[in-house]
Amino acid sequence: MRRRVGVSLCLLSLLFLLTACSGLGQLVSGNSANVPDGAKEIKMWNLFAGGDAEYMQNIVDEFNASQNEFYVNNIQQEFEEYYTKLITSLGAGKGPDIAISHSHTLPELVDLGILQHLDGYAEEVGVQWDEFNTNILDQTVFDNQHYAIPIDTHPHIMYVNNDLIDQAGLLNKDGTLKMEETPEGFRAFFQTLKEKLPENNFPLAFPTVGMDGYRQWWTFYTQLGGENIVTDDLENPSYVLDTAKAIEAAEYMQKFWYEDEVIPLNLADFYSDFQSGKAATIATGVWSTGVWESTEDFNFTAMPIPTIFGQKGAWGGSHTLVLPAYEDADPEVQRGAVAFMDFATDHGAKWAQAGHIPAKDTVVESKEFKEMAYREDYAQVADYVNFSDRTIYYRGINDIMIRNLDRIWTNEATAEQAFQQIEKEVKELIHD
Amino acid sequence: MNKKAWIKDMKAVPFLLPFFIAYLIFTILPIFKGLQMSLYDWNLVKKMDFVGLENYVDMIKDPFFWQTLWNTTLFVILTTPTMVLLALGLALLANLNTKLKTFFRGSFFLPSILSVAVISFLAIFMLQPYSGLVNTVIQAIGIEAEPFWMADKTLAWVSIVGVTLWWSVGFNMILFLTSLQEIPDTYYEASEIDGATRWEQFRYITLPQLIPIGRVIILLQILASYKVFAQILLITGGGPGGATRPLIQYIYEVGFTQNNLGYAATMSYALFFILLILSIIQLKNQRLEEN
Repeated sequence: MRRRVGVSLCLLSLLFLLTACSGLGQLVSGNSANVPDGAKEIKMWNLFAGGDAEYMQNIVDEFNASQNEFYVNNIQQEFEEYYTKLITSLGAGKGPDIAISHSHTLPELVDLGILQHLDGYAEEVGVQWDEFNTNILDQTVFDNQHYAIPIDTHPHIMYVNNDLIDQAGLLNKDGTLKMEETPEGFRAFFQTLKEKLPENNFPLAFPTVGMDGYRQWWTFYTQLGGENIVTDDLENPSYVLDTAKAIEAAEYMQKFWYEDEVIPLNLADFYSDFQSGKAATIATGVWSTGVWESTEDFNFTAMPIPTIFGQKGAWGGSHTLVLPAYEDADPEVQRGAVAFMDFATDHGAKWAQAGHIPAKDTVVESKEFKEMAYREDYAQVADYVNFSDRTIYYRGINDIMIRNLDRIWTNEATAEQAFQQIEKEVKELIHD
Repeated sequence: MNKKAWIKDMKAVPFLLPFFIAYLIFTILPIFKGLQMSLYDWNLVKKMDFVGLENYVDMIKDPFFWQTLWNTTLFVILTTPTMVLLALGLALLANLNTKLKTFFRGSFFLPSILSVAVISFLAIFMLQPYSGLVNTVIQAIGIEAEPFWMADKTLAWVSIVGVTLWWSVGFNMILFLTSLQEIPDTYYEASEIDGATRWEQFRYITLPQLIPIGRVIILLQILASYKVFAQILLITGGGPGGATRPLIQYIYEVGFTQNNLGYAATMSYALFFILLILSIIQLKNQRLEEN
């Protein structure tokens, strides 16, 4: 009996070893896909998860089926460490042939010299630059050269639970909200919700710490007329935050937690609070449209964050496709890579299923896009997204902003103190 | 050394070689590479300019270096004594001759086999407000409060220390337990004949016998605690507002999000020296006492 156990244990461990080895082999070679005969393999890295990943894979599959010259091998990477991995791999000359990058990371990648401008290939392939939304496209141009092809913009917007809003008597007959678009009116809307909602519900789902607070602050700061934190100078920016407006926006937001108490503090999972019908509204990115849509019997409306401070403005990012630079790059592979980028942007309506706003105006105006529910209600935000400052210090500044703004939202510091600290830290980082 | 012994020693070489090569490439070499990096302006992609000791001067002037070093030190101060006491207490409990002996040993050690990601997410689920286990229990026993275990400055430390103790006390308990079992029964028998009470036995036999292993545990604990990173990153993210950010997280951020590997290497070296000095003091002390 004992011997039999021993033998089966040996077999089992051998089995593990074998599967581990073949897995390892795949990892090392990176050839996890079955490249068809005669097609050139184009390796692509993406940072998507969940619905995003699925829609991107659909576009890749469609491209692969549409022709037989190239085969895009879409490799999904883990988001958290994506940029570290991308930068180090490209620095070592061992990265992918196409990569996804957020528009705000482009300055850093361009400055490091690991990207290649794609104007030549774009002309060969026939990329129609004039079909793009200029606000989005501008983010990808450096020294009059295109370093990326944008596929979308994904701003922060607002979603409301129609049933709860209606219950509180805040829904007009035409589906719009009973809300005055002023700072006071916006607050009053949530205060009314607080009064009228059943005891177990609350007005607004929003996290107390993290990037969302920073993005919401950026939206209000822009609405107040604030433009930048630092100047759009790649390597030598200077600090130009409009402190008065920055403080005004932060103090306004802080009231939602501590004066009006319309957002419960430190929510553990604010998405599920909205999705389960606990919270009447939520402010977050357009990527969540797909999530709410797939929730059964969920009656919601998507809308831009109301312009309460006079100027239109919103935080937004943009996913772009980039062409890494290699000394021994195969021009055929690179041409195929740009051909795929062109294909992906033309098929932006597929990508919009996740909730993003396609980068091409022609796609936004297409029948396919217009037939989708919700997206059109916020597509105009693409025109007035205030993108992050174009500097190589973006990621460092982002960390500083979030960490210090969190101190305001958790009532550890006043807005004034936090922005003094931000000024000191950012200046140090950018050597201003 | 005679020839036979030499040949015998040589036989060990092929067995040692595979590990030694890996050790050389992945541990020894990076130590020197790190020293070189700390003298340069160096980003994620390439070496740039030689800056000499400039990074070290910057470090001394950097308030965040000191703040995060203090956070790490605070963690060491909070966890080391509590860990030793808790491990000792649990070891004594697990050494009792009761029917629950195996249960005690198993349950105390069990958390240690989990990975840091698992224990951190367990902690997050238990500690989160409004729906977490801890707050639900607090409210169930009639206390009307909603403590923010991860978002309040002080409570965040309580949570991190508590979670770390729960997670890693098992290993230290085993160390104490083995030592306890090595104390010869004859000591206790002899003292019993002399009329010693249970407390006297513990005070004059058990405790002195545990001092050597206690010292090892303290050293291991200090070294391990200075390297604290993962559970803090996962549970509080260094927050609220950087209040629990340990030195290693700061090093990580400087290196990989601020793209400044040179300065990150400099701070790593500072940490290395702190640990080196602590280890030397500890080992010296030990030798003195042994003599």
